[in-house]
Amino acid sequence: MGTEEISSQTRANHRYFIRIDKAEPRRFRAVVSLAMSHNLIELLKRRGGGPAATLDVLRRALEERGEVTDDDRRAAAAASGLPEATVYGISTFYDDLLRPVGRRDVRVCTGTACWAAAFDGQIRDLEQGLGLRLGTRSEDGELSLTETVCLGFCHSSPSFREGDVVDAGPGALERILSGETAPAPEPEWESTLPEPVLTRPGDYSGLRRALAELTPEQLLEEVKAANLRGRGGAGFPAGLKWEFARKAAGPSKVIVANGDEGDPGSYIDKYLMERNPALLLEGMALAGYAVGAETGYVYVRSEYPRSKPALDAALAAAYEAGELGDDIAGSGFSFHVHVVVGAGSYVVGEETALLNSLQGLRGTVNSRPPFPAERGYHELPTVVNNVETLCNVPFIALRGAEAFAALSPGATPGSKLVCLNERFERPGIWEVPLGTSLREICEGLGGGMRDGRSLKALQIGGPLGGILPAWELDTPFDFEPLAEKGCMLGHGGIVAFDDRTNARELARHLLRFGAHESCGKCFPCRIGMTRALELVSAEEPVDRAKLEELLETLEVASLCAHGSGMPAPIRSLIAHFPEELGLR
Amino acid sequence: MQVVVDGIEVEVAPGTTVLEAAKLVDRWVPTLCFDERMVPFGACRVCLVAVEGAPGPLPACTTTCRDGMRIATTDERSRRIASNVVELVLSELPGPPAEHTELAEVARRLGVGAPRWTGATHPVRHDERHPYLVLRHELCISCGRCVRACDEIQGAFALTATGRGFHSNVTAGLDAGFLQSTCVSCGACADTCPTDAISERLLVALEEAGGASDG
Repeated sequence: MGTEEISSQTRANHRYFIRIDKAEPRRFRAVVSLAMSHNLIELLKRRGGGPAATLDVLRRALEERGEVTDDDRRAAAAASGLPEATVYGISTFYDDLLRPVGRRDVRVCTGTACWAAAFDGQIRDLEQGLGLRLGTRSEDGELSLTETVCLGFCHSSPSFREGDVVDAGPGALERILSGETAPAPEPEWESTLPEPVLTRPGDYSGLRRALAELTPEQLLEEVKAANLRGRGGAGFPAGLKWEFARKAAGPSKVIVANGDEGDPGSYIDKYLMERNPALLLEGMALAGYAVGAETGYVYVRSEYPRSKPALDAALAAAYEAGELGDDIAGSGFSFHVHVVVGAGSYVVGEETALLNSLQGLRGTVNSRPPFPAERGYHELPTVVNNVETLCNVPFIALRGAEAFAALSPGATPGSKLVCLNERFERPGIWEVPLGTSLREICEGLGGGMRDGRSLKALQIGGPLGGILPAWELDTPFDFEPLAEKGCMLGHGGIVAFDDRTNARELARHLLRFGAHESCGKCFPCRIGMTRALELVSAEEPVDRAKLEELLETLEVASLCAHGSGMPAPIRSLIAHFPEELGLR
Repeated sequence: MQVVVDGIEVEVAPGTTVLEAAKLVDRWVPTLCFDERMVPFGACRVCLVAVEGAPGPLPACTTTCRDGMRIATTDERSRRIASNVVELVLSELPGPPAEHTELAEVARRLGVGAPRWTGATHPVRHDERHPYLVLRHELCISCGRCVRACDEIQGAFALTATGRGFHSNVTAGLDAGFLQSTCVSCGACADTCPTDAISERLLVALEEAGGASDG
C-alpha cells in the first residue's frame, strides 16, 4: 500500500481537529463525523477487494488448512488493502475464524430452541460420544467440535452440523456419532391469508408493474402510505428509511438486505432466502428503484449453508430472464445483487455492525448518527432492510397500500411470518395477519405443546424479547400489545418453554448468549453482560438489587439493542418467576 | 444557535456536540474513550447527561446540539449510571488503577470505590519487547484510543482491537510486538491511554520504584 497516500490522508484529517477552538467549535465536524475509521474505508475503496474480502480469504484458509496463519492474514491484508493489524483484529472477532477445524468438523447448535428441547444435554452426549470437548480438535487433526448459535432448524431440535450438512431432530445425535449425518427435512409452511403475501412465490410482477406504471417517487409514497414497519426487530417504518436515503447526497446508493437472522429460534429469513429467494430479490430491486440505487447486497449468515446457493441460483435465473440486470424491461433502471456470507456474530445483525462486516471489518457497532441512510456501505447512502421487510414490498408495489392495510384490519398493516419451535405439536412457519392472538397461533396453528407437556412461557422475537407467561396467551401478535407486556414482536420467532423449564437455568442460558455475543465496543455491555451472567451462574441466591441496578445500567447506557435489550427477558423472569430465579 | 448547559446559555456552531458545549462553559463531564484529537467514539458511555425531552440519559460525546437544547450535566440518574459503568470498568482490572491515570481520576471525581459487581478479570500478559513501549494487556479497557490515535493522528495503522465482548483487547501488528508491526514509535498510543495499559518503559520503572506522580 502507499504509505504516502495514507499519511497525506491522515494529515488532511488531522487538520480538521487542530482548527477546533472555543470560538469555532468543530466547524468541520460534518466532514469527519464518522463513528468508524474513515481511513480504513478509504483504503478498502482504493484497493476495491470486493465486499468482505478479508472474511473470504480467512474463511478459505480455515477450510483448506484448518487454521488461520499469519501468512493468511497477510494475504487477506493484500487482498483487501487493509493494514495487517486490522486484519489481525478481524481474525480474532468472528466465531467461524476462531474455531479449530478438523477434517471432520462437527458443530452443535446451542440456540434457544435446542436448549428448550434438551437443556444442553445433547452437548454433553456429543462430547462424550465423540470423546472431545467443545471448542477443541483431536490431536491428529481428524475431528473438531464447536458450538454454533443457531442453525435455524428450530422446528426439529436438537440440531447439529457436519461440514455443510445440518442434521436435526430424533436420531440426529446417533447419526452424528455413527458418522451417518444426513440432511434434516426443512420446515413446513402455510399461510392463513386468503391471498398470501410472503409465501407466494416471487415472480417479479410487482417490479414490472412499478417500472411500467409508477415513478420512483410514487413507489416511495406507496410504501410510506402502507406503513410498512421493519420486521427485523426495531419496527422502523421502511418508507421513511428509504426517503432519508433517497434525499441523501451521494454518487451512488446501496440497498442491503439483512439476512443475518441471528435470533436463536428464528428461521423466517432462512425460509425466505432459501424457499422464496426471488421475492427477496424483487423487493430489493423495488427498494433500489424507489431510492435510486443500482446495487444491492444480501448479507447471509454463515450458519445457513443453504442460503447463498439458493440466492445465487435465483439471481442467475433473474439475470437470464431479464428480470434483473441492466436496463430492466427497457425501463432504463438497472439493478445488480451480490450475495455475501458472514462469519459468525450475532451483533452483526445490528445495521452499523452489519455494514462493518459487509466491508470485511470487525463487526462492531457504530454510534449513530451518521445513519446508514446518510453514510453506509463505502460511505454511500445505504438502506439496510431486514429480509422479510423487503419481501413485503412486491405486494405493495403490485396491489397498493390500501390492499396491504386490508390484510390486517385494526392492527399494524400487513402479514407476518411466525415460526414455532420443536416444543409445539405442529412446529413450522405460518403466515398470519398482524394482530392474530398468540393463543390462535400457539394452540390453533401450533397445536399446543407436544409429548403431553404444558406451556410455561414463550419468548417472542428473539433473545432481546421479554418472556410471556402462559397465562398471557390472549395477547395479540403485534408491536404495541406485546410492548405493553414487556415483550416485543421482534423478528417474529416464537420459542415455547414447557413445564420442565427452570427460570434460573433459562436466565443463565440467555445471559451466556448475551455475554458471548457482545461485540465489545461499549463498556456497559462488554463488562455488564459478563457480570450479569456471573450473578445468575453462582450457586447462591441472586441479590435482586444488585441485579436490577446492573440491568438498568445495561438498558440505559448500552450503545445498541443487544445491551439495552438483553435485560428485558431477565426482567420478565424476575416479574413472573421470582422464587424460581432464586432472588434475595 | 444557542443551548443551555446547567443553566448557562452558550452560543454554538451547528454540529457542535453536547460534550463540546459543556466544555465551552467549563462544565466537567466524565469521559474515558474521548480524546479531543480524535473523532468521538461513543464506547465508554461515561459521558451521560440529561437532555430536556429525551427519554433517558444521552452520551454527550456523540449527541449533537439542537437549537434551544437544555442540558443537565449533573443529572442524578445520568451520574448514577455513569458511575455504575466506571464501577464495572474497575471490576475488570486485576487491581485498582494507578493513582495518576485518567481512569483513577474519573473514578475519584465520581466517588466510585470498590466495585459491587465482581468476577473475571483480564489475564496478566506483558509485552515488553519494544525498547520504549510496554503493553500490559490486563490493564486494557478497550476504549480504542490507542488504535484511533495510531490511525487518525499518526496514520501508522500499527494497532488493532482484538477479540470480542469481555475478551476484547488491543495489540500491535500480528500480535508479535510493536517492533514487528508498522509502529513508528511515536508514542501517541501511550500518550492517550487512560489506564497505562500502553505506557513508556521509563515511567513504568519509575512507578514500580514508587516514584511516579501526576504528569
